[in-house]
Amino acid sequence: MAYSEKVLDHYENPRNVGSMDKNDPSVATGMVGAPACGDVMKLQLKISKDGIIEDAKFKTYGCGSAIASSSLVTEWVKGKSIEEAGKIKNTDIAEELALPPVKIHCSILAEDAIKAAIEDYKSKQGK
Amino acid sequence: MNYFQLFGIEASFDVDLQNLSSNYQTLQKTVHPDKFAHASAQEQRIAVQKSAQINDAYQTLKQPLLRAEYILIQRGVDMPNEQHSFGDTSFLMHQMELREMLEDVKSAGDVDAALLEVQRVLSSEYLQLTQLMRAQISENNSASNGAACDNLRKLKFYQKLNVEVDRLEDALFDD
Repeated sequence: MAYSEKVLDHYENPRNVGSMDKNDPSVATGMVGAPACGDVMKLQLKISKDGIIEDAKFKTYGCGSAIASSSLVTEWVKGKSIEEAGKIKNTDIAEELALPPVKIHCSILAEDAIKAAIEDYKSKQGK
Repeated sequence: MNYFQLFGIEASFDVDLQNLSSNYQTLQKTVHPDKFAHASAQEQRIAVQKSAQINDAYQTLKQPLLRAEYILIQRGVDMPNEQHSFGDTSFLMHQMELREMLEDVKSAGDVDAALLEVQRVLSSEYLQLTQLMRAQISENNSASNGAACDNLRKLKFYQKLNVEVDRLEDALFDD
């Protein structure tokens, strides 16, 4: 199956790969996985006091589409408020990357990673 | 008739693979095309379908994770969609560590030893999780079936890792 040019671009030059300190109170960590393909995705967001995402990093073990989806998401969320980031839909990701139907779950995983990170941030703030 | 009944064995996670394999061969002989060479087109078609069904049943019962999934589905356990994301953070963190460990094998001073260590860790954790799932499947109540289902999903991550390990092993020693 051929990957789209955008997927290849993110796959070959992934943006914002890396890790942040998950114990830092301003860092939100979202971990998600897909049992069907064994993909594991970690998305970390550095969030300012007024709820703006200042930086984003990801680490993904999975196929090209999963890596591209998470790489794209790190670009998209930077500068957004957590509310805005929470509105990113898997369909937006799939459309941008021209993912074929069998790879839609990769974009779902990336959307779920954002949600998981926001949940983590809220639970950290609640403490 | 379910897959276990087809092979005349007890519906359990513990399957005697040798017995399963010999039952499989015996059953396949009964529907072998040679036997139906002079049969009607309809009988031939039924024999082919039967043969495919026996084959599906064998492939499913032979592999522990597919067997576990089959048992749970037969019990009417609501299996989460395969594509549904899994969100157990500490489990996934550990999965990421295991993948990092595997990634580091290539650059290890002693590649053989590093690979063996990954294999040792993976097989011990896989075994432990399988034993846990096995006990939950045999307990067979709604809570234990749900827990077994959860562990089955976890085991799929190990299955994927094992594929990666095999791939790495081929790449390293296939020169």
